[in-house]
Amino acid sequence: METVQDLQRSSKRMLPIHSTEDIRQMLGTEPVNLDIIRDPEIYRQEQEKIFRKNWLKVATTWEVANPGDWKVKELAVCAASVIIVRGKDGVIRAFHNVCTHRGNKVIPTTEFETFGHARANVMTCRFHGWVFGTNGDLRSVPMKEEFAEIDIQRLSLREIRCDVWEGFVFINFDEKPGQSLKEYLGGFGELFAGYPYAESTTTYRYSTVLDCNWKVALYAFSEGYHVPTIHAGSLPGFSGIEHTNYRILGPHASSAIYGGGMDTADSTLKFAEMLHGTEMHRPRPEQLPSDINPERRPDFQFELPSVFPNLIIHLAAGCGYPGLSYFTHQFWPLSHGKTLWEGINYFKPPQNAAEDIAQRHVNALHRNAWLEDTATMEDTFFGIMSGAINDMYLMDREFLIRHGVDTLNHYLNKVEA
Amino acid sequence: MSEFKLPEAFADLTRLAAHWAKPTEYQRSRLRWSASKEDFEILYDAIMPRLDAILSYMKSLPVKPIGEADRNLYWLACAFAEASPHHELYEGSAQVPHSFVAERFVAAHGDVS
Repeated sequence: METVQDLQRSSKRMLPIHSTEDIRQMLGTEPVNLDIIRDPEIYRQEQEKIFRKNWLKVATTWEVANPGDWKVKELAVCAASVIIVRGKDGVIRAFHNVCTHRGNKVIPTTEFETFGHARANVMTCRFHGWVFGTNGDLRSVPMKEEFAEIDIQRLSLREIRCDVWEGFVFINFDEKPGQSLKEYLGGFGELFAGYPYAESTTTYRYSTVLDCNWKVALYAFSEGYHVPTIHAGSLPGFSGIEHTNYRILGPHASSAIYGGGMDTADSTLKFAEMLHGTEMHRPRPEQLPSDINPERRPDFQFELPSVFPNLIIHLAAGCGYPGLSYFTHQFWPLSHGKTLWEGINYFKPPQNAAEDIAQRHVNALHRNAWLEDTATMEDTFFGIMSGAINDMYLMDREFLIRHGVDTLNHYLNKVEA
Repeated sequence: MSEFKLPEAFADLTRLAAHWAKPTEYQRSRLRWSASKEDFEILYDAIMPRLDAILSYMKSLPVKPIGEADRNLYWLACAFAEASPHHELYEGSAQVPHSFVAERFVAAHGDVS
């Protein structure tokens, strides 16, 4: 049985595209046991062995574009509130949002994500007024002389490992991660590198709390098999879809969605014409990294990867939905049976009101498709929890799921029977 | 209270705009969720033949139009952009058929226009 380290080491060697036969041989073909979704004990292990040990995407560099800009992300799965902040020196760091005095939140929050700016590059706890710099240093303690014992040097905000790949900010709760972010992303990082992600700063972000295990939501977005059925409403005629270019990239994997034949509605044609008539928003296949859509097929829609444990970046470069550069999904467990889903559409900034309106149309179409996707998730989890079925039978196009389960089992050190 | 205004070339759409032109995505969504098949049809039949003209006019405006009449037309166009699939794809249904409850989706980018 290969270990995760073996998978990591082999990721570069495995960048080539695999055939269906390869995938069947590499990942097996047997049904996948559903305990991995059903068992609350496995969720507890995932918290410790996966979410507290691996690199997790929590922000983009342009969300904290200027010194002093911060984002707070609540991560229930790691029982943590995290400040991601750009320091005066331009460096992005991550800290526990915990005052080192008595444990209060330095930045009080009520949402899953909160954005703000640290005036004068300091953050002040509202409880007793302890002041921290954006580099984490404890700068000031009111009535310091009344502390018989206090070591300012040792009372900086507790830092969390933080690194950046292509403008995406990742953190790792492990104080000594076994791998750097670059090593961890491995073949995925190479395959997806080079696209100008940071140019697409216009975002439409949706989130919802789903009554399902996080992997039910992740796996629902990890295959193209469902498109002709689930999306018959929002993507009529989209039956010619092809899900191919399978790649295993260590703990991550990728594939491509090709296919045309969609019956585009009249208003969509108008908005698409508007966007495609501009240099900025037209399809940009030439901007795709060379290994993505390597044959430069004109019917390329988007690359569909799975970035372990909980991220999907669909890279389209405007080739699929008009003007849509890419879109991301993340699946954050809130508990064994509760998940925060986040979907973000990324566009290049509109240059005038007409482009903005056209992007809103594309965003609405895509959001509607997401409404169709999310419709299945709570029912699926309910069905799995009922115990009526013990396994899931997976077809070739569902290989990202099979690979995801394999990877999960490697991390949990649980060998499949 | 001043009269609801649109740019002169689009003055014939004033009544429709007074109903549909709302400044935020959430406000427009709420209106859409309560719309009937006939509401979508009236909106579509009025705007679709003028869409080229509206987009052509909007090309000369900044992303967030400033003048009151321009802003109203922009909001009407946004409402149309978000509502046209309900007429073209969903047979006039206010909800996307066979979908998740739209109200449970939070627009985390904020309720901005």
